[in-house]
Amino acid sequence: MAFLTDFLTRRGAYLLATWRIWRDTARFAGRAFVTAATPSAYNSATRGVVMKQIYFTAVQILPGFTLFAALLSFVLIQIVVGTAGEFGLSEYALEVSMRLLVLELLPLVTALFVALRSGSAINTEVALMKIHGEIEAMEDAGVDTLRLEFMPRVIGGMISVLALTAVTSVLALALAYLAVYGPQWWSLPDFNRVMGKVFDTPVLFGILFKSLAFGLAVTVIPVSEGLATPRKLFMAPISVLRGMVRLFFALMLIEVAFLAVNYI
Amino acid sequence: MERPPVSPPVNRPPVPPLVKNLEFKIGLLLAATVLLAVAFVVYALFARGAFQATQTLLLTAPEAEGVTIGMPMTFSGFPIGEVKRMDLSEDGKVLIEIAVVQADARWLRKTSVFTLEKPMVGAAKIKAYTADLKDQPLEDGARRELLTGDATKEIPVLVEKVKTILANVEAMTAGDAPINQTLGNVATVTGRMAGDYGVMEGVLGSPDKAKEVVDALRNANTLLANLNGVSLKVDGILAKTDREVFAADGVLPQARQAVAQVNAILTDARDSLKKVDAILANVQTASADAARITGNVSQATTDMARLRVEIDDSVRKVNHLINEINKMWPFARDVEIKTP
Amino acid sequence: MITRVQWLADDAERRALIAAHPESILVSPDMPLRANLSVLDNIAVIPQYRSNLAYDPAADQAWALLGRVDMTGMAFKRDPDLSHDERFVAKLLRAAIARPPVILVDRPGMLLPDCHHPPRVAALLERLADLLNDCWILDYTWNAPLYPHR
Repeated sequence: MAFLTDFLTRRGAYLLATWRIWRDTARFAGRAFVTAATPSAYNSATRGVVMKQIYFTAVQILPGFTLFAALLSFVLIQIVVGTAGEFGLSEYALEVSMRLLVLELLPLVTALFVALRSGSAINTEVALMKIHGEIEAMEDAGVDTLRLEFMPRVIGGMISVLALTAVTSVLALALAYLAVYGPQWWSLPDFNRVMGKVFDTPVLFGILFKSLAFGLAVTVIPVSEGLATPRKLFMAPISVLRGMVRLFFALMLIEVAFLAVNYI
Repeated sequence: MERPPVSPPVNRPPVPPLVKNLEFKIGLLLAATVLLAVAFVVYALFARGAFQATQTLLLTAPEAEGVTIGMPMTFSGFPIGEVKRMDLSEDGKVLIEIAVVQADARWLRKTSVFTLEKPMVGAAKIKAYTADLKDQPLEDGARRELLTGDATKEIPVLVEKVKTILANVEAMTAGDAPINQTLGNVATVTGRMAGDYGVMEGVLGSPDKAKEVVDALRNANTLLANLNGVSLKVDGILAKTDREVFAADGVLPQARQAVAQVNAILTDARDSLKKVDAILANVQTASADAARITGNVSQATTDMARLRVEIDDSVRKVNHLINEINKMWPFARDVEIKTP
Repeated sequence: MITRVQWLADDAERRALIAAHPESILVSPDMPLRANLSVLDNIAVIPQYRSNLAYDPAADQAWALLGRVDMTGMAFKRDPDLSHDERFVAKLLRAAIARPPVILVDRPGMLLPDCHHPPRVAALLERLADLLNDCWILDYTWNAPLYPHR
């Protein structure tokens, strides 16, 4: 009996802790938004952090990631076009590959890549800042760390995800045209018709919202997880681990929600 | 708290930048992103025909089943317009508004015909046909009737049904079907029995049993007579159907009704044949008994002879019926009912 | 500028004193520099943020402060590469540039373990005298013999 009580207590405590961290995340996101929406929150220091964040999250990886995305897109388009042709459904190949790539895969892959690279880095940095007391020191010196360090990271992360998604998506469009019609201009009207069918207004807004949600998750979750780290050095890896797992679930949840809204 | 300003710096060396041209690179990326996003939205709008001049075409149809908003209208397989909206008009007909791209409107003329095709598999299609491309062009906002292929869509279904029934008939009349086996047995028995009623009575051992056989045969007779009547009716109906369906001024709903009747009659015929089958199976048992009881009979009864003639006759009728049906529907098959 | 030493009996008293002066800025072993910024940027970020200065004027101010204490050589170093003395100076300048009413130098013996710290702290404060308001040195009573002018 005691064992059962103990077990339930522990499960309950775990559940509460999980709930608390998500609540803190939401609260942090809200505060970051409010700060971001305040024009006076921006100064040379915050701009510097935003720019550095964009540089390290997007500019630095742009060539490599674009190349990878192009390769992935090209291979997938070829597979879809080839398979559709085999089943006599060539007319749907373009539409299917565009839906697959531009609507689903590329935003998700971009978000995952940024999460792996920058999300983990942000989580580690914030956790170490918290553990060392740097945040406390900055606050003591009269600097609002949310404004100086964290909000710019969120902004930079969102802009980066948007930028990477935009670049890779447009590249995928061009590659799809080449894969389906070959290097000539005459099939543009046909291509336009299919694109018009795929990208109607709700879908365009959907992509925008999804990319923004991805960018938000990729930065907000690592930052809030880092901020929740207890001031013990051995907690740093655990913090990053938790942050990454939560980030993964958040990304998948966003993707599933987007799919559900789009297709159900 | 009055403080003198911090003294001016003495040659602060330039800060080694973390990243060369950071601002420029970020600016470039942001500009590229915004440009791509805007271009993409504009392109999507363009692709959806937001900047294309269109003219409207109104199509009226008795029903809008299978027609959806955004469905393309094709001319020679090329999409030249799409369904913008659908409405019910005052007279209960469906009003389908189609936006035709102005550049492609030249394919539509005053005499153009519009059809809605609903294949058995796949989505419905609105097609435009223009016989004379030199005719006057179709005016903006023109109102035309959307022709639906209603008559044709029922026939394949009916043909399928009739095919099933004929397959049944064929199975019953195949070489190893009970009806044939039975007739074979009957032939054997009649070959052996050369005597009259008395002989049969003798053969069967008792007058009751002989009477039983004779009753059964009489039943079979009656049924065959019925079948005869049925096949005659079928003949008549088929002739009528023939007239109604294929005559130049034939009315299609009536044709459908007639074919449904044929259907019912054929079902009747099938049932009757099943009954005959059962009765004949009885006869088979009885004659098997008879064969066991007497190994040596030399005369067939007159009843048996008549029965055989009648069965032959019926079978011929069924044959005829099948031939008739064959003639009317183009699914020729070698169906022949043979008696041994 | 008033410089004085606050003699403390124990840790609890120290904490209470710090808590009682929220307007102060601490120069403390518990208040590290921002690890991914150079010393110059660590100091410059304060006016950048608090007075919305552009980077260059802020960095000029920081550079001027470093010049006053003859420590411009460490301007582009980051925290892990600093000696205890350099780190202390950087923290002190970060506090000084914000011009708080009170700067609390928390346990100088722990901040400057490698030298005789009271004269060093006194010399540094001397050079910054016209920029500072009050400066209190928090030290334990048993360290009193280290201080020459009681």
